[in-house]
Amino acid sequence: MADSTLTAAVAEFLYREARLLDGRKFGEWLDLFGDDAIFWVPAVDMDRTYTREPETSLNFMYIVGRAGLEARVFRVESGGSLASNPLPHTRHLVTNVMVDSDGPAGIAAFANTQVVAFCEPRGQQILNGSYEYLLRREGQGFRIAAKKVLLLEYVVDGYFDFFTV
Amino acid sequence: MDLRPLSSNRRSFADYIDDRPADRVFRVDRAIYNDPDVLEAEYRNIFEANWVFLCHEAHVRNPGDYFATHIGRQPVFVVRRPGGALGCYLNACGHRGATLVTKRIGNAKEFVCPYHGFCFDTAGKCTAVSAPKTGWREQHLDLSTFDLTPIACIDSYRGLVFGSLAADVPSLREHLGAAAALIDVFVAPAPQELELAPGFGIYQTACNWKIMHENGPDAYHAPVVHNNFAQAVMYREKRELRSGVTRTDTGRLTGRIESASYDLGNGHTAFWHRRRDPEAFPIYAQREELSKRFTPGQMEWIIGRGRHMTIFPNLLLNDLASTHLRTYRPLGVDRMETMIWCIAPVGEPKDMRAARLRKFEDFFLPSGMATPDDVAIAESAHKASFAFDSKWTNMGRGIDFKIDGPDAAARELGFSPRASSDSWDHDIAMQGVYRRWRDMMERGEERRRG
Repeated sequence: MADSTLTAAVAEFLYREARLLDGRKFGEWLDLFGDDAIFWVPAVDMDRTYTREPETSLNFMYIVGRAGLEARVFRVESGGSLASNPLPHTRHLVTNVMVDSDGPAGIAAFANTQVVAFCEPRGQQILNGSYEYLLRREGQGFRIAAKKVLLLEYVVDGYFDFFTV
Repeated sequence: MDLRPLSSNRRSFADYIDDRPADRVFRVDRAIYNDPDVLEAEYRNIFEANWVFLCHEAHVRNPGDYFATHIGRQPVFVVRRPGGALGCYLNACGHRGATLVTKRIGNAKEFVCPYHGFCFDTAGKCTAVSAPKTGWREQHLDLSTFDLTPIACIDSYRGLVFGSLAADVPSLREHLGAAAALIDVFVAPAPQELELAPGFGIYQTACNWKIMHENGPDAYHAPVVHNNFAQAVMYREKRELRSGVTRTDTGRLTGRIESASYDLGNGHTAFWHRRRDPEAFPIYAQREELSKRFTPGQMEWIIGRGRHMTIFPNLLLNDLASTHLRTYRPLGVDRMETMIWCIAPVGEPKDMRAARLRKFEDFFLPSGMATPDDVAIAESAHKASFAFDSKWTNMGRGIDFKIDGPDAAARELGFSPRASSDSWDHDIAMQGVYRRWRDMMERGEERRRG
């Protein structure tokens, strides 16, 4: 069983990340990621299984490097994207946090998530899933090396973005 | 027979299309987007009365491979039979009508109904029923009464599989007409065949299917709706100093470039634009090998031009941001479902495949940086279609510049569109879509009235 102090520290880190997203503090949210961070939302294949080889498969998102995430933030904050204007309000409910391993590569952590988003004119959207993180210790805290989101609702109603999953 | 008058008191579907070439007017009544009676008529006169796209041959490559989909309202599945031929049957058990194939895709030697266990082969023949001896006296059991219902026509062109519920249709080749030459441009450069990269996108949109169908041939929305995509990608490239095929050619979104568009006949459309940065596309690496197989004119089409086409009523094929195959169907008058795949050459080097896929993810998918904006605009246009007192959608742009028949680029490739125009800023292709829509709706209703 993982050290409960570590699990608590990881949980608090994930809650803080969720709070930054819900507070639309996207700049501070980006600061949680390392320069070479990976943000990965697998798609599913026709057999309804998640795609496994991100390089050579189609993914909902496979963003390698923080600059790719910055571009996403840049776009939704630009005001030019109709899908992001008005920007939906979100509430991330992050639960079931577990530390799976703690080794030289970093800390592998798991959590379940439900994200409720609301905006006019689309109304409410609820997306459920789970997170798999690879975290690196940095000073007293952590930095995200990789975040994988396994989305339950792969038949998407409308659209989604980095801050609604 | 249902002969209710059209709910907006129109005498015929032709009244929805205000097509007056002499007056340089082409307008569409927005009631076609929100009238449930129009959708019912589209199901019977368009989707269930002529060729529609079903799947790619890569989905059903090996004997027993099947792919479940819909033709209009009707669930069907395509299956590769042991001899190599394709079959397509209504996806309803011949006994009590349960859904026979419940997966989207799979492989089976025979199909066993999950309700009562009746069995069917890949030719649609019933091969066994449950407990035959207690159900019938032996001489009265006729398995053929349970056979699956085949669709009337199935055929494929260059890997694209089409089917028709109606038997009285022209050949698929005739149906595709001038579009076939442009499909060839997508397929011919691949050293072997094309495949679909693992993974697909499926999303539902709260709009009438035609609003999204229009978004295809409408090229001139892109510099407006997708300017934010171009800005975001340029921001990223400045930060990352990208090179080669990992770059994105945003030329078509940020400035005026050479382009053309075509009414291909039968409701099919195409457009192309000059690529500002052809080296940013994986196919550029094949140019030397390709130049041995293709004429300079063909090479211009393959390497130098981004290409887009729609095959009425439910297929979109393009090579703009990436290589993209899309099909869609109405779920209701105000809801539709879209499925998309990245279509790519078999045996492509890994770095090229990765670049192709990352470009695809950047732009398309409900999680991309462009498709969500298309969805948002389509949903907002659907809502505005209820502004009944402002009833006409204007599709007259470019009538002044219409060219009857082929332009120089079409002649170079050897296809004969009904009309060409020297810019993708024009609605000439869209007019072909709605003339086809009008003609199919009218012809279908005439047939019903006998």
